[in-house]
Amino acid sequence: MNKMKFTKFVRASFALASIFTACDSGDDTKIDTEYPVIDISAASAFPIQCSEVSPGQKITFKARFTDNTALGSYSLDIHHNFDHHNHSTEVNDCSVEAIKKPIKPLLYINSVAIPEGLKSYDATQEISIPEDIDPGDYHFLIRLTDKEGWQTIKGLSIKIK
Amino acid sequence: MNEHKSNLLRTIYLLLFCVGSFAKASAQSVSISGNVFSNRHTPLEGAIVTIHPSSITTVTNKEGSYSLQIPRDSKKLAVSYSGYILYEIELGLDKSSNIISDIFLKQEIKELKEVVVRDNHAAHHKKAESLNLEIVNSSFIQRNLGGSLMQSLQRLPGVKTISIGSGSSKPLIRGLSFNQVIVVENGIKHEGQQWGADHGLEIDQYAVNRVAIIKGPSSFIYGSDAISGAINIKPLPFPTKHVLGGSVDLTGKSNNEQYGGSINIFGRNDNWFFDTRITTMDYGDYRVPTNSVNVYNYIVPLYKNHLRNTAGRELDLHASTGYIRQRFKSVLYLSNIYSKTGFFANAHGLEPRNVDTELHDKSSRDIQMPHQEVNHTKISNTTSFQLGEHKVETQLGFQKNFRREWSHYVNHGYMPPIYPEDMYVPQDLERQYDKEVFSVSIKDEFSLGNHQFTVGINTELQQNKIGGWSFLIPAFTQINSGFFLYDKIQLNEKWLLHAAFRLDYGRIEMKQYSDWFESETTNNSQTKFEYLKRSEELTRTFNSFTWSTGINYNLEKISLKANIGTSFRMPIAKELASNGVNYHYFRFEKGNSNLSAEKSYQLDLGIEWQDTKWSVQLSPFLNYFPNYIYLNPTAKHDVYYGAGNQVFEYEQSKVMRYGGELQTRYQFLKNLGAEVLVDYLYSEQLSGNKKGYTLPFSPPASVLFGLTYSPEIKRLRDTYFSLDYRFTAQQNQIVPPERKTASNNVFNLAMGTMVKAGQQELSISLQVQNLFNTKYLNHTSFYRLIELPEASRNIILSIKIPFLILKQK
Repeated sequence: MNKMKFTKFVRASFALASIFTACDSGDDTKIDTEYPVIDISAASAFPIQCSEVSPGQKITFKARFTDNTALGSYSLDIHHNFDHHNHSTEVNDCSVEAIKKPIKPLLYINSVAIPEGLKSYDATQEISIPEDIDPGDYHFLIRLTDKEGWQTIKGLSIKIK
Repeated sequence: MNEHKSNLLRTIYLLLFCVGSFAKASAQSVSISGNVFSNRHTPLEGAIVTIHPSSITTVTNKEGSYSLQIPRDSKKLAVSYSGYILYEIELGLDKSSNIISDIFLKQEIKELKEVVVRDNHAAHHKKAESLNLEIVNSSFIQRNLGGSLMQSLQRLPGVKTISIGSGSSKPLIRGLSFNQVIVVENGIKHEGQQWGADHGLEIDQYAVNRVAIIKGPSSFIYGSDAISGAINIKPLPFPTKHVLGGSVDLTGKSNNEQYGGSINIFGRNDNWFFDTRITTMDYGDYRVPTNSVNVYNYIVPLYKNHLRNTAGRELDLHASTGYIRQRFKSVLYLSNIYSKTGFFANAHGLEPRNVDTELHDKSSRDIQMPHQEVNHTKISNTTSFQLGEHKVETQLGFQKNFRREWSHYVNHGYMPPIYPEDMYVPQDLERQYDKEVFSVSIKDEFSLGNHQFTVGINTELQQNKIGGWSFLIPAFTQINSGFFLYDKIQLNEKWLLHAAFRLDYGRIEMKQYSDWFESETTNNSQTKFEYLKRSEELTRTFNSFTWSTGINYNLEKISLKANIGTSFRMPIAKELASNGVNYHYFRFEKGNSNLSAEKSYQLDLGIEWQDTKWSVQLSPFLNYFPNYIYLNPTAKHDVYYGAGNQVFEYEQSKVMRYGGELQTRYQFLKNLGAEVLVDYLYSEQLSGNKKGYTLPFSPPASVLFGLTYSPEIKRLRDTYFSLDYRFTAQQNQIVPPERKTASNNVFNLAMGTMVKAGQQELSISLQVQNLFNTKYLNHTSFYRLIELPEASRNIILSIKIPFLILKQK
C-alpha cells in the first residue's frame, strides 16, 4: 500500500510539474493561425466598393488572394439589398435607393476551389448579369478560405442599373 | 465559505486540546460513549459533544461515535452540528462506564438558517469521493450571483461558462461543454441544452440549494454525456415538521437594468410537506464598454454601449410535495421554466446584418427579432424506501423542452425570395425544437461487510420534433439504457477504494427531411426542379462498457485521492445528421453519419492539506480521447442551401488534454483571509485535419486572488467584504475560426451581511462586477468570435428575507 501511495505521489508531482512547464511547449507556431487576405486594391480589381453594372452585361470578377501557407477556396455571392439588410466591410458607404420589395432579384452563388498549394492566386471569374432581373442595390460578398479553414470575408455594395 | 471551514477546524483543534488537558485534570471521572446520527440515520462525523458544567468537549469520528472521560457529577450532554438543531440530555451517571443511547440530530428548518455556511457536509463528501468534487450552496450563489446559475459558479477553478448574452450560459468544465457535461436536477438528467452553443441551461438559480460539481469523467454513474463532468443540483432539503414558512429574494442589476426576485413558501405537518416557488426576472439590453463591434470585418456601431436586442425575461414556477416517513419518502417535483431572450441583432443570419437601428434602439427593454423562446417543463417523482439492508430509490421523470427561434425570413439556396403565403410555418419562425423525454431509474444502496454497493439501472426515451422554415437537424427518437455497479470499500479509517463499471446501450433513429421548396438540379445536362432531401432516415446503435476505479487516503490534515477511469458519449443528432446553416456563426454545418461513440480515458489526482490557518488543494488531471468528435472548419463553401457559407464538418480525432486546479487559502488574522485559485488547461488534437491544433473554446490559464475581511459588527452576522482580482492569461492556442485573445485583469468587489429582523435573519449582498469597467474579451464567450467585449461594470444587489408564518411546538 505504501508503495502505491508513493507512486501516486510521484505521479502527482510529475503531473504538477508538467502543468507549469508545459505552458509554453504548445506555442511553437508550427500550426497556421493566419487568415488569408483578399486584395482588391489593384487597378484591375473588379468589382470594388460602389461599382455599377448593368443588366445583360458580362462582368469579370478580379481579385488577388494571398495566404501564408496555402489557399483553400473562395465563394462569390451576389444578392439584393433592397431591404437595406446588408452593409459592407468597407469604410466608405455608397448611396442607396429606397427600400423596395424584390420581384425577381438576382441571386448568384458560386464557389471555386483554388489549385492546391498556392500562396498567391489571381482569381478571375466571368459572371453574366441576366437581362430580366430587378435593378437596384446589391451586395457582392467574397468569402476566402485557406487550406486550414481560416476564412476572410469581404462585403461590397454594388448597384445594378 | 472556506474561511469558515478553517475557522471551524481551528475551533475543533482548540477544543481537542482542551479535552486533553481537562481529562487529565479531573480525578473523579467516569467514561461515557455513544453515537450521533443524522435524522436520516447516517453517522455524523465532526459533531461536537460538550459536557456541562465542565465544558469538556470532543468531536465524533467517522462512525459518529464519541467517548469521553468526564467528572462523575456532570449534569448535561449537548451535541451540536452545523445545520442541525442543538441536542441536549440530562446525565445521571452512576456507573464508571456509561453508554448513552443513540442520538439523532434533527435538521434545522430549511432556508431559515440555511445561510449558515459553517458546513461540514462538503468537506466530508469531498473526502469520500475519488473524483474531483466541488460543492457549493445557495449562499455561495447569492454571494457570486451572476446572470445564470453557471455564471454564478464561475468563481470555482476549472469551471467556466460559454455565455450567450446576460441571461444564459452553458457549463464549461475543464474546457469541455455542450454534451460533454451532464446537468442533473433532482436526480433527473436535464435534457434540452444539447442542440447548440446558443442554448442556455433552463435552471432557476434561486431554486438551487446545493450543487455538486464533478470535474472528471462521470459516465459510470450518469451514463452518456457525463464524459467530462457533471453538475448535480441536489434536491431541496425537506422542511422541518410543523412549520409553515418561506422567503423572498429580491435582485437588481445595474448593467442590464435587471430586476427580479423569487418567492418561496413551504410547509410541513408530520409527514406531508409542500414547497413552492415563483421566480421572475426582467432585463434590458446589456452594456459593454465599447462603441462598436467588429463582426467578421463588419463594423457595427452600438447605441449607448447597449448590445442591441439582448434583453430578456424569465418566469419560473416550481412546486413539490411529498410524504416523508422514517423508512419511506416520496416526492413529486413540478417545474416550468420559461424564458424569452433576444439575440444580438447584427450577428444573426447568413451574414452580418444591418438592422433597423431606429426600431432596435428605441427601447433597451424590448425584444425584437431575432429572439428565442424556451419553455422547459419537468415532472418527476423520487421515491426512496428501506428494505432490510437495502436503500432503494426509484425515479420517474418527464421533461418537455420546447424551443423556438424567431427571425425574419431570409431566403437562401433555392428558397423563394418572398415567403409563400400558404406556407404551414409562421413566417418568422426560423426554427422550432420540441423535445420530450421520459426517464425511469432504480437504484439500490446496500452494505456488505466494508463494501458499500450501489447498483442501478436507468432508461430514457426521447422524442424530438422540428419545425420552422429553416433546417439544421432532423427530427429523431432516441433510447438509452444503462446498468451500473459501484463499490466503495472502506479498508480502514484512512483508506477508501472505489470501483465501478457500467454497461450502456443507445439507439438513435433519425427521420428523413425534405425541403419545402424546390431546388434546381442538373443531371446529365438535364435541368429539373425537385424537393431535395436534407436528411436520410438513419438508425445507429451504440454499446459501451465504462469503468472507473479510485482511491482515497485520508489523514487528519492531508487527504490524497486518485482516480482512473473511462467515460463515453454517444454522438447526438446534430453531430450525426446536421445539414444546414448555423445562423449564429454564418456557417454551414454538416453531420457525419459514421461517427463512433466518443471514449475518454482520464487520470485524476487530488491532494488536499488542511491546517488551522491555511489549506492547499491541488487537482491535476490527464485525459485522452481516441475519437473526440470535432466540428472541423474546411476550406469548402456550400453554394446551395449554405448560400456560399463556409462548410464545417463533424470529424473525429485523437485528443490529449491535461491541466489542473490549485486552491490555496490562508487566514492571516481572525478576520482576514486570502485565497489564490489557479486553473490551467492544455489540449491538443493528435490526429486528423487539425492535428497540432487545440480544441475550440479552450479556456486560458487564470489566477484569482481573493481577499476577504469578515469583521464582527454588533447585531450583524457573517459580515464580509471581499475583493477578487482575476488575471486571465492570453490564449494563443486557437483553432479556426477563433482569434487569439489577449490577457486581462478584472476586479470584482463583494460585500454582505445578515441582519436580525424580528425572528429571522435577513441577508443582504452587494457585488460590483468588473469594478474598473475594463474592456476585455473572454475567450470562451459565445460572442468572442465577433470581438464583443464582456459586460461593463455591473452592480448587483440581492436581498433574501426569510419568514416564518407558523410554527407548532
